[in-house]
Amino acid sequence: MKFRTILSAAAVLALTGGSALAADKDAADIAVEAAKKYAGTTISIVWEAGLQSLDPLNYSGPKWEKLTGVKVKVVEVPTDQMFTKIMQDFKSGAGAYDALNVIPSWMPDLARAGALEPLDKYVDKFGYRDELQDIAAAYRDNQMQYDGKIYGFPDDGDVMLLYYRRDIFEDPKMKDEFKAKFGYELAPPKDWKQFDEIGQFITDKMAPKVYGAGFFRTAPYPQYMFQERFRMEGGKFFNADTMKATVNGDVGLKVFKQMLAENKFMPPGVEQWNFVDNLAAFLQGTTAMTISWPPYGRWAAGYGSGEEALKWVPKSQVAGKVGYALTPLGRPELGVGFDLSVSATSKNKEAAYLFIQWLNSKKTSLERVQLPYTLRDPFRLSHYASEKYRSLWPDAAAYLDTIKTSGEKGLLDLSLLQQDKYDEAMTKAISSLWAGEDPKAILERMAQQFDAITEKVGIENQKAVYKVWAAKPGAYPQ
Amino acid sequence: MTVSVSLNGAEQRRPSRFGRMLEDRLPYLIVAPAILILLLVGLFPLIYSLIVSFQRITMTENDTSFVGLLNYAELFRDTRLWASLGHTAIITAIALPLELLVGFLMAQLFIDGMPGRQIFVALLVLPTVISPIVAGATWRLMFDVRFGPIGQILSFFAGEPVRILWTVNPAYVYPAIIICEVWQWAPFMFLLLLAALSNVDQSQLEAAEIDGASYLRVLRAIVLPAIAPVIAVACLIRGLDLVRIFDIIWALTEGGPGSMTETVSLYTYVQGFSQFETSYTAAISFLVIALLTLITTLVLKRMELTR
Repeated sequence: MKFRTILSAAAVLALTGGSALAADKDAADIAVEAAKKYAGTTISIVWEAGLQSLDPLNYSGPKWEKLTGVKVKVVEVPTDQMFTKIMQDFKSGAGAYDALNVIPSWMPDLARAGALEPLDKYVDKFGYRDELQDIAAAYRDNQMQYDGKIYGFPDDGDVMLLYYRRDIFEDPKMKDEFKAKFGYELAPPKDWKQFDEIGQFITDKMAPKVYGAGFFRTAPYPQYMFQERFRMEGGKFFNADTMKATVNGDVGLKVFKQMLAENKFMPPGVEQWNFVDNLAAFLQGTTAMTISWPPYGRWAAGYGSGEEALKWVPKSQVAGKVGYALTPLGRPELGVGFDLSVSATSKNKEAAYLFIQWLNSKKTSLERVQLPYTLRDPFRLSHYASEKYRSLWPDAAAYLDTIKTSGEKGLLDLSLLQQDKYDEAMTKAISSLWAGEDPKAILERMAQQFDAITEKVGIENQKAVYKVWAAKPGAYPQ
Repeated sequence: MTVSVSLNGAEQRRPSRFGRMLEDRLPYLIVAPAILILLLVGLFPLIYSLIVSFQRITMTENDTSFVGLLNYAELFRDTRLWASLGHTAIITAIALPLELLVGFLMAQLFIDGMPGRQIFVALLVLPTVISPIVAGATWRLMFDVRFGPIGQILSFFAGEPVRILWTVNPAYVYPAIIICEVWQWAPFMFLLLLAALSNVDQSQLEAAEIDGASYLRVLRAIVLPAIAPVIAVACLIRGLDLVRIFDIIWALTEGGPGSMTETVSLYTYVQGFSQFETSYTAAISFLVIALLTLITTLVLKRMELTR
């Protein structure tokens, strides 16, 4: 009896010990162990050209090779050519790419075409499901699946943040004068009316040294702002029953008119500003507010200023003076993002999968989002909570908290079949807006273009995709 | 294996049938690889594109069925395509005469010889060796409202800040493109016309001068007829280049604001590589080929260069 008890206890100990050991192995370790059998293989991964690709070139690629013996060939492709290259490879069946970076709004097109490998079986085989739960819900629930299958791991916490100059907003004289004029506190704007009033007030007081705000205005950036503002003001892109475009109603007109009017309190020539122009103006202290992706916040704080790869970023004159907030109306656009996927034509699917699991895992991704020279933004709950990240600069904790909240409330980019065409119509429309064309006429034309695209894709096909997209929690404000 | 025959008493070795056949066909055999390669890289894509233009191929769908003339019918309903052809015509109609005029005036300036002529000629043709995309990007910086030297120069003369949004304001966007285009390609006209002017018969010019003919009379009666063939060829080359203008506009405006400066090349690129309409893009290409063939034939006929 005693012997049997001891034996049972030993068996239980062995079993629980074993599973505890297994539980100790995180997704990164599992991927590394499994990938060792592919040592000597070379896998290729499509990555956005420029700063983004410094991650696999300088950090994750060499590290993966050291850990597993699997070489990584990075295929750098400009963003606007990524979709084409991926589709060309798929259509030709060349199998030149194993792993892919995919913009989530492309997923319906790529998945329907069969260009992406469904990942569910690998996720189960290599025990990754639990760690996927750590990815912030906005990305996990909206950017990972199509038609109920996993086609990519959200790997970039893109979301728009409002950056503002705390030193100006907290200046007692400015605060008093502002409150006397408008009857409320000078603080990050809660809506676009406040934004306009604050922007105009600062421009009136401080221009040309400092203007109230500055935005990027050249293609393709402003269309993300339009998508957010249009929905937050109550707009719907389509009539869900007929799939007729409804962007040309009163809401669209209101948003267009507001966007145009705001240029007046922004620096002269703002209509020509791109990502870098806007960044330079904010970092040099020329604008008091701006809205952009998370890297602005890191660079404004001076994070990574010594990096060779970031020499093109102007030295921040506003380090320690920048506050972070939700965009007006509180539901920021998630704006682009990246998923990691496996090409359906890859000849090394499992090896490619293991690499993206390792990249995306809690452990590795935390290191990657802290690389100062790349553009990957925090996207996991563990990233937001990381003590190390939260101490990278004095305001890093506030920065991460704002990203987390923004992500939770984030609005999805419109994602339909042939989404690029709708994006192009919006981009062209906004470009015409800056050129002084009648907003109503522009919106009418945009709606006609939307309808023509929908008709070409097939109304019923598109209706089904729109229905799925519109039902997602981040599609329209509830 | 040869057969000997006697001709006029002299015995010659006559090639065999195979030898004769080889001799007859040797030239063809020698050029055959080159022709084969030309057919493969030139004709095959053309024929294949023609077939594709009758299909329903897009990058995002797997349907490759034949649709007959559907894509060609679509061309006539596509207002953006016709607008882009209109933009191309506007740019060509303005830039080509300007390039010709500026090139001619420059050539006139240099024809009589001047100190350091060789150096100036070399400097003047520099823009033509720059890649158009680089030229466009450089001019975009020149036109920048904040840092661009053009705004600063205009501000200096105006005595107050001049802020022209060259690539945004509809009133200035065409002038910006034309300035960039003429800056880059007028030197090409200059080079051709300088060479042509150098070959005008000096004795005729001297006789006209003795007769007291005015400059304009000499120009009209002697110089222009003498250089007319060169002008025609130069205009044809530049005209065709202007019809397929892409790089400069892409770098300067990307076809904007809206689609205001979108030329047919830009539109074709957008349809093919941004919107992935493979078959429709092929149809556009054939429309452009047809239009260009028609225009070129008419122009050549008009200029009597076909003879």
